[in-house]
Parts: sequence; C-alpha cells; structure tokens
Amino acid sequence: MTALSTPAQSPAGFHQDTSLRPVPWRKLAWVSWRQYRLSLVGAAVFLGALALYLLIMGLKIRSAYASVTSCRPVDSQACSDVDNLFGSTYFITAEITAALLQAVPVLIGVFAGAPILARELETGTFRFAWTQGAGRIRWTVARLALPAVTVTAVTAAFSQLFGWFYYPFFADGLDSRLAPQFFDLTGVAFAAWTLAAFTIGALTGALIRRVVPAIATSMAVWAGLLLATLLYLRRHYEAPLLDKGYGAPAIGNNPAWVISQSWTGPDGKPVSQSAIIQLIQRAPQGTPKKVGPNTYQVAVNPFQWLFQHGYTEWTRYQPASRFWPFQFIEGGWLLALSLLLMAATIWLIRRRAA
Amino acid sequence: MNVIETSGLSKRYGRTWALRECTLAVPAGHVAALVGPNGAGKTTLMHLSVGLIAPSAGTATVLGGRPAGSPAALDGIAFVAQDTPLYKNLSVASMLRLTRNLNRRFDQGYAQARLGELGIPLDRKAGKLSGGQQAQLALTLALARRPRLLVLDEPLAMLDPLARHDFMAAVMAAVADDGVSVLLSSHVLAELERVADYLVLLSGGRVQVAGEVDDLLTCHRVLTGPTAEADACAGRLSVVHARRGEAQAHLLVRTGGTAGPVPPGWEAHPVSLEELVMAYLREPGAAALPGPARARALPLETGEPTEVTR
Amino acid sequence: MDIDKAVSGPPDSRAGVSSPGAEGDRSLPAPGGAASPIEFRLDAASGVPTYLQLVQQVEHALRLGYLKPGDQLPKVRDVVSSLAINPNTVLKAYRELDNKGLAAGRPGQGTFVQATLGQVALPELTALRRSLLAWLGTADAAGLDEDGIVALFTSALRDFLERRGGPADRRGAVGDGTEGVA
Repeated sequence: MTALSTPAQSPAGFHQDTSLRPVPWRKLAWVSWRQYRLSLVGAAVFLGALALYLLIMGLKIRSAYASVTSCRPVDSQACSDVDNLFGSTYFITAEITAALLQAVPVLIGVFAGAPILARELETGTFRFAWTQGAGRIRWTVARLALPAVTVTAVTAAFSQLFGWFYYPFFADGLDSRLAPQFFDLTGVAFAAWTLAAFTIGALTGALIRRVVPAIATSMAVWAGLLLATLLYLRRHYEAPLLDKGYGAPAIGNNPAWVISQSWTGPDGKPVSQSAIIQLIQRAPQGTPKKVGPNTYQVAVNPFQWLFQHGYTEWTRYQPASRFWPFQFIEGGWLLALSLLLMAATIWLIRRRAA
Repeated sequence: MNVIETSGLSKRYGRTWALRECTLAVPAGHVAALVGPNGAGKTTLMHLSVGLIAPSAGTATVLGGRPAGSPAALDGIAFVAQDTPLYKNLSVASMLRLTRNLNRRFDQGYAQARLGELGIPLDRKAGKLSGGQQAQLALTLALARRPRLLVLDEPLAMLDPLARHDFMAAVMAAVADDGVSVLLSSHVLAELERVADYLVLLSGGRVQVAGEVDDLLTCHRVLTGPTAEADACAGRLSVVHARRGEAQAHLLVRTGGTAGPVPPGWEAHPVSLEELVMAYLREPGAAALPGPARARALPLETGEPTEVTR
Repeated sequence: MDIDKAVSGPPDSRAGVSSPGAEGDRSLPAPGGAASPIEFRLDAASGVPTYLQLVQQVEHALRLGYLKPGDQLPKVRDVVSSLAINPNTVLKAYRELDNKGLAAGRPGQGTFVQATLGQVALPELTALRRSLLAWLGTADAAGLDEDGIVALFTSALRDFLERRGGPADRRGAVGDGTEGVA
C-alpha cells in the first residue's frame, strides 16, 4: 500500500482547542437545506401543479362571473337566471376543489415534518449527526426551523391564490367565507394548519422513530384536531348570534355562516326538532287544492300554523364580519400549539442525552 | 491524561443492567481494545462515552475531565457507530461538506486526498459504495475532524479480509501521524491482537480485565505440569483458570509482575492475548484490574496489578 | 509528534502532545535515499510477538547483507500502514535494536542501521558445521528423531544462554566485525 496522505497541520498544532465557539448557524442552515431540499422540490411540484389548475379554472370562473356582474338591468329575471346559471355551473366545482384542498396542509406538513427526525432515528444516522461538533440541540433546531418557516411561507402564499379563486363565489353570495369547507383555505388558516401538521409530524417522528408509522399517526392526529375544530371549536370563538326566523342576515353580499337552527315554544322554552316534526304532522291540513295535473297545494302552511301558535324559529350564526377575527384566533392558537410542539420536540431530543 | 475515565458507570434499560459499576481509566496515546462477548455492554459503554445516552448511575468524563456529551467532548471525539451510518442518498462530496458544516475543524484537503487514494469517487452516492468503501468513508470523515480520540464500534464486522486490513492500516497510520488515541471494540479478539496496546474486557456488563497489553502478558503465564500436583500449586499461586487432563494440567497463573521460579517438574509458557481473554471469560469471578486511576506519564510504566479476585 | 525521534528520545514523547517543530520534518525523505532497502512481513500464526519478529527480520537482513550500516529502516508510518500494526510495536522493535546497538534514530529523519552483526570467519564456520554434523550422526544412532533432536538442542541452548547471562546482555553489535557472536 502506498503511503497515504498526511493530514495538514493547522498553524498552532492540531490539538489546540478552537475556543469552543458554537458552530455557526449558517453552516447548520446548509445542512438543513441539503437534507430537505428534495422534499421541498416535491412540495413545490405538487403545489405548482395545483396552482396551475387553480389558475386555469379560476380565470374561467372569473370571466363567467364577469358576465354576471355586467348583466343589466340588475334586478331583472334575466340577470337572476344568469346568476343562477353561474352558481349551478361552477359552485359544485368550487366545493369539490375545496374538499380536496383540505388535504393539502396535512400532506405537505406531515410529509415535510415527520421524516426529518423519524428517518434519522430509524436508519441510525442520528448516531453520526449527534456526535458531530455542533451538538444535537443546534442540529435539531436547524433541521426543524428552516423547513417549518419555508413550508409556512409557501402555503401562506398559496392561500392567497385560493382567495383569488374563491372570490367570485363569496361575492355572489353563494356561501359564507366562514363556512367550514372554505374557511381554512383562505386567510392565515391554511398556513397555520400546515405549520401545525409539520410540528405534529416532527414530534410524532421523534416519538415513534419510524417514518411510515409516524406519517400515518401524524395524519390521524391532525385530522382529529381538524375535526374537533370544525365540529365544535370554531363556532365558539365568539358567542354565536341569534336571529329570528329561518336563515341569517348577510352583510352586504357576504352571507353569514349558519350553525344551527332551533325552535322555542309559546312559553319561550326550547322545543326539540322531533317535537316540531310531530306537531307538524298533527297540524290540521285542510283540504288540499288541486293546482295542476298531479300537484296539490296544501291548504294550510304548517309553518304558518306553528308561528300562529307561538312557536318561534331561531337561527344561530356567525356573521361574515367575524371572518378575520376568527382567522386570527384560529391562526393564533395553531401557532401557539406549533411552537409548543416544537419546544417539546427539542426537549425530547435533548433529554435522550442529559 | 486519560482519554476515557469512568467511575461507577452504570446503565439500565428497564430491569436489565447493560453496564454495571464500570470504573475505567484509559490512558491517552494508546489503541485500546474493548472486547467481550455479544451483549457484554461494549456498545453501551461507547455510547455513554460519546454522549449518545446518559448513564443511570456514575459518571463518564473524556479527554482529561470533560463531561461526556458536552460540546468540548463532542469537539474532540470522532465516533463511528456500528454499521457505519451514512446518509445513503448523499454523494460522497456532499457527505464531506455536511461533516464540514457540522464541525469547527475539518481538513477538507486531507479528506479529498485520502478518498482519491482509496479510489472512492466523490460523485457517487454513499449508499452505492461497497461495504469496505463505506467504512473507509466513515473513517475519513472521522479523521478529517482531527479528533484526539477515535471511537470505533465493531468497525470490522461487515468487512471482508482485505477491507479489514486496509481499514486498520488506515487507523494505525493516523495513530502514527497524529498520535490520536483509539478505542475500538470487537467480539473477535484475533484481529485486535496486532493493534491493541491497551485492553478492556467487558463481561456481563462489568469490567473484568483492564490494563496495558504488555503488562497483562508479562504478568500472566501458563504452567504445565502433573495434575496430581495441580492443587498444591494452585494453593501457592494466583490461578486464573485451570484445565486438567488425567495426567497433565495447564494453569494460567497471574504472577504480579515478577516472574518467580517455576515449580520443579513444571514448564512455563508465555500466554497469548487470546488465551488470556478466553481464560478470564471462562472465570466470571476473576478480574485483573489496575490500581486507582491516574494519569500516566510514561506509557510503558508497569502498573502493579491488584490481587486476583476469585 | 515525531515518532522516529522517540527511538532514542524519552518514551513520553508518545503521550499525544504535539511538538510543532518536529512534525513537519517527518515526511521529508532521508538524505541520499527515498525508501528503506527492506520491507517487513508479519507471520501472524508464528506465536512470536510482533515486535520480536521485526527485530529478527532486521537482524536476518543484516546477516544476509540486505542492510548495511547507514541504511534507513522503514519509517514507522510506512510499516504501520502496510502491516496494520500498532505504531508502538514498531517503536518497541526499534528501541530493542537501539539497545542492541544495531540501529539508532536521527531526530526528524528516521532510524538508521548503525552496525552490523559480526560474522564468524569462514574456516571456523566450516569446522563448526562439521562437528555439528558429527553430533547429529551420534544423536540419530542413539534413536532420536527430528523433533527429539530439536527439543534437546533447544533446551540445551536455553540452559547455555541462561548460564552465560541471557541473550540481551551480550548480543554483539560490532563496529568492524572482528569479534562477536552471530
């Protein structure tokens, strides 16, 4: 074997301790970037494809909506028909798109966040990474913080595209911006949910230490959190308002988000839905009037009958004006949760040594 | 200076003690072999020394008193874990850059020159290298950090004979060039005999033997003689392990430094390291430990061993 | 740390402390020659300690004329990277050769052969050989086989050396080869 290279001599001799300054962040940033650039590219491609679709579809919708807004005279039947046509043609697409886009935060967040620590622990490379001079805390912070910020920024930008895409539907009053299927795609919620998915993924990865189970578990946890928010939490950010009658008042063109309907009896006490149904069935119907070959008109409107007898319908709703306050509330607690989970992850990693 | 000093170091996983009351003082400037059967606690001891895990009891300090796992310790120790973990998807050049960015000191020129001599292409993915090449890459990354202590956990286990030779040659060359201290573990003793000058034998989580190889070999010998006299002999000498045939017996005795006369009718043979280790492994109650831990100024100074515990 | 300097220097130069001045010199070629004339080999199964094998190989090379006074012994680093043995083993071997007066280290340059092993004059050698053959004939007639002869000879040699005072004390390192023990 030929003589091997001799290591170079540092000026003061190689045993000198280089005054143990911590390894600078920019070096760790390169490490973090180098190891997650692949998943960043994946996310970019994914979002890019989505963006393209939204752009193409969105332009089509906008031009259709332009014909609605430019229709004159405004209150005529003809323009109303144009409006209805717009809604029936495109709203289904909007809703389906929205339903599918709900999955984007969890996909991006979990697939970006969970493998970072899980893969290191699963393959054993943490035994290399944590014995380098930088130490495991700095390493963990760099490896988590950089992708977290990037992913949040990218999805925040992306949700602006959603806002642009859905604007015609909200402007046309087809649904409320507070409605569950749209709320977390716009404003700050989209980015906040992605960040939450990321941090849930990171912590789960550190706990479970296997990539695939960590991804699956994180998605389940995130889905549970989202469900809890949709079904319960969000409607209570501020106390819902009550309006008499069916439906809730819109603000300008922005419909309110109807949460539920309820009835009260003549005494003011609540009456259950099934009781109302029984009352309606027992209400006198009168003689049905024949109005067409097979159509009959009920003589007595059951709801009129209920109103005459002192029954009141109530609608609980959140007005459209609360959109941004709710966005900040939701974004706020998701951000706090994310920071907490990050801190817990770092503490967990640290604890394996101390 | 002691590169590794432990005091009552113990580690428990659930109910099992992987390491028990381990007290060691491995001096600098040596190639220390950590041997023992599988499950004896070698990997646990190494992981404790490099700060990957925390002890359940006792302390471990490295490089002259730095707490294991502290930034000062991490800076001066390069560790290659079992199965040489590398990022399989990164190219060799990326692994170099990654290691450079995770450390304060990195000799890029040396690393590239070494890899060039070994014929390891810089643009190949680390996962596509052969086992021997991966081990050499891991070693290069470790040595390029210019550590004071190199810790290698069973580095030869997955290598073919040629790769084993090349790997150890590289380690020994680094010792010759830089005076880096080495701690390496193996459960195959034969391949360590040529390179080790300090031995730590772990058995059942406890340190059974610790000391300079020269001292250990000087202090032990095999006496061969008639079985009938074996017991009488054993009474007067410290016998570590006895093998008795019908007529002939071999006693592995500890002489405590001075040779002493051979009993009449008996023959004395020097003992090999492998034979010594095997004998102690067969006698769990026996131990050969040096005196209280102290920094050694003269590496060949003969330490007086304490009594053999039976 | 200058490894080769340690052959004649204090043993604690091995203790891992770097001396900046000497390090740069270690890789300079020896004056008048790039490499050593000999290469070491290792017989792992022979049972002979490694350092002793190296010593014996140097002595053997001296006897056979591969090495002459002034030749450089292989650099510690080269030995270590071709045989994969501990540098301290090589140091120990070179120290032993120094004790015997056969080699000495020059600071910063390496270890060089100082003397040669004395040769017994040719007529004396022939006479010794003849008497040995005669003895072998007697032993064979008495019924000793090859192993018996070797065992007898080895134990007699050991007794002789012990009585004479041990091999390390009197081994002949000679300046001009007029007297000495082969």
